[in-house]
Amino acid sequence: MESEAAIQVENLRYVYPGGYEALKGVNLAVKKGEFIAIMGENGSGKTTLIKHFNGVLKPTEGRVLIDGVDTRETPVSKLSRKVGIVFQNPDHQLFSETVWDEVAFPMKNFGFPEQVVKERTERFLKLMGLYSYRDKSPYLLSLGERKRLTIAAVLAYDPEIIVLDEPTAGQDYIQKEHISGTMNLLRTMQKTVVIVTHDMEFVVQYVDRIVLMSRGRIVASASPHEVLLNPSLLASAGLMPPQLARLALQLSRAGIYTPRRLPETGEIVDAVLKRWHR
Amino acid sequence: MSSPLQAFKYVPKDTFMDRLDPRSKFALSLSLLAASLASPQLTMQLVYLALATLLIAAAKRLAQWTPTLKAISPLVAAIFAANLIFTPGMPLTYATLMALRFFTVTTSFTLFFLTTTPDDLSLALEEMGVPREYTLMFTMSLRFVPTLADDVETVTAALLSRGFQLDRGNIIQRAKNYVYLLVPLIIYEVRRSLMIAEALEARAFGATKKPTRLYTLKMKKPDYLVLIASALIAVSPLAPAILNLSII
Amino acid sequence: MEGVNYTYPSSEEPVLRNIDLRIGRGEYILLAGPSGCGKSTLARILNGLIPNFYGGKLEGKILVDGKDPRKTPTYEMALTVGFVFQNPENQLFFSDVEREIAFGLENLGLPPHEIRRKVEDAIRKYGLENLRHRSPAELSGGQKQKVAIASVMVMEPKLLVLDEPTANLDPISAVKVLGLVKREVLERRISAIVIEHRVELVLPYVDRVVVMDRGRIVGDGEPYSVIQENSGLIGRPAIFDVYARLRAKGFPLHRWPRTPEQLAEDLKRILQG
Repeated sequence: MESEAAIQVENLRYVYPGGYEALKGVNLAVKKGEFIAIMGENGSGKTTLIKHFNGVLKPTEGRVLIDGVDTRETPVSKLSRKVGIVFQNPDHQLFSETVWDEVAFPMKNFGFPEQVVKERTERFLKLMGLYSYRDKSPYLLSLGERKRLTIAAVLAYDPEIIVLDEPTAGQDYIQKEHISGTMNLLRTMQKTVVIVTHDMEFVVQYVDRIVLMSRGRIVASASPHEVLLNPSLLASAGLMPPQLARLALQLSRAGIYTPRRLPETGEIVDAVLKRWHR
Repeated sequence: MSSPLQAFKYVPKDTFMDRLDPRSKFALSLSLLAASLASPQLTMQLVYLALATLLIAAAKRLAQWTPTLKAISPLVAAIFAANLIFTPGMPLTYATLMALRFFTVTTSFTLFFLTTTPDDLSLALEEMGVPREYTLMFTMSLRFVPTLADDVETVTAALLSRGFQLDRGNIIQRAKNYVYLLVPLIIYEVRRSLMIAEALEARAFGATKKPTRLYTLKMKKPDYLVLIASALIAVSPLAPAILNLSII
Repeated sequence: MEGVNYTYPSSEEPVLRNIDLRIGRGEYILLAGPSGCGKSTLARILNGLIPNFYGGKLEGKILVDGKDPRKTPTYEMALTVGFVFQNPENQLFFSDVEREIAFGLENLGLPPHEIRRKVEDAIRKYGLENLRHRSPAELSGGQKQKVAIASVMVMEPKLLVLDEPTANLDPISAVKVLGLVKREVLERRISAIVIEHRVELVLPYVDRVVVMDRGRIVGDGEPYSVIQENSGLIGRPAIFDVYARLRAKGFPLHRWPRTPEQLAEDLKRILQG
């Protein structure tokens, strides 16, 4: 028997109450422990899709299974225990008076024992470099810190599947480095991770697979190097290849360097120098 | 958007009603309202309601109007019941009259809002001498209704995603649950209003006391016809008396 | 700006310290730095939102096109400094693109025929013919930002300030927006300052990079060297790494790369003679 998928989306169609058809038949399976990125231009249906993973949206047609459980038949509060979603804008998801309470909030909702709540809150605030702010109001933090706080609140209750909507949008370089660290952590924890993003430069180094969406449909699903060396495919989803892929593409056309996997700085430099010394 | 708000949502269509000047449309709605309030006869109420419904049909907005109708029906039933119980004399006639009147009033105003863009409406108000500060406030409050609705949806989704159950507990507890929803919303909307204010400043808002307008409203022939019709509707409650008709 | 210091009314710590900045005509500048470094504050001083709208203590010499923003009402500064904000949603107010573009001109009290002429120019220039009667709220993010820029540029400012205008856009829409600004810089000889975190997106367009950190300007000049020196604060494009490593090995590259395609061209020219 095939190993069970963490997320199984079958012929999912979703029409908003106003009549707008955001998803037009989506099929997707995410394996346990897989790290995938869903990419595509604004309005391609990415956010609508991930809102189905914990049941805040229910399919108009088709179905979504989380660990084999149909989202239509399970309450959001139960699904959320398995699927933690960090939404894009931190200001839409800060509900508590203090930074500490914000991280403890979901664990309390899920009925964690008090001692566990205390331990995990402390651990994850420290992990995200927010422990010194524990008694402050979340709204006094900077944008980057608020973002990290929303990530901490979700990681702390230890969901099996973690979904991040545009974790790097509007974040500065230093915050991105922080989030980068979190990605590595998630990899070592072997969580199932879904990242929704435009940021090719950022995401390419972590993911096993890239799923491209355009106008409510999945238009491609493949390994990063296959996707990012295909500029016309990316352009159809409003994306640009990362800089090294663009460079590699030009160089391979001139026969200077042909990447076998993800293009890498050292490899490109070596290839150019080798050709130069010849 | 949820259905009760449907009444305010302008969906562009090219019909006779859409092409009218907002002022003549306003006069039309107002005259129907005045006539309905002034007329004590059931028959006349039916005529006004039929007229308003006909106009909505002519504007091809019947489908949009029905949700509003459904939404106000319980209210109409309550008005009917209250009048039936508390009116001395002929309660049935009076209760029916009041219920019909309520339908007519809402229908005639729905007619106006369904066929007039917020922009046109504020233009008309400016034309009538209302200062831009106020007309803009009006335009923007309508403009930001869908945006606010989106924010409510996103915050609710985020709250549910943290394992929170909005419908948990008794009535008082449930009301308290909603505070969790309100706090981020209020903070967010206050921030948004600040950003809007900044953007207004950057567009030279308030530079002159008398801003000019790209579009100016102009009454055309149909508008004058509608104005005449409106005047006739406004005086129509007197018709039964003048023509000496005995109707109820 | 000379010796500019600024402190917000609610705080004691200054957010800007001793800022010296000269912006020439026709310059397109990237203003970069970590969140909270004072970039947005600096931008808001240029059009007088600070301190006229926010209050606080502002010291130093500031002249924009000969006007001191502190002594000029913000609506008058709008004629000199155009400002485009991060979230297009909050800067579009009407249900018709034409009316949106006209709004600034209406506020200035221009006669309707003149407004009409300028709006038509803007619509043609920004390719908005098919969208002219659409509601800005229904447009895509990129189109919204395009309308936002058009409705500011129609007032013919001499300086255009964009505060993270592409943060919510996909890369291709973002590049288009930044390209529109470049065209205005070239055609009208205006100056432009864009605040943006993704250095590699802006790099093809800007002539100068200013880096801020904790209220000070810590780097200002030609993009390549400023970015290299401050890469710990703002990161650096991957192609700079390739370029620097090749140069270190004596590879004869003579201009720093703005785009991967340009670097590839240079490499090909050298390798293939």
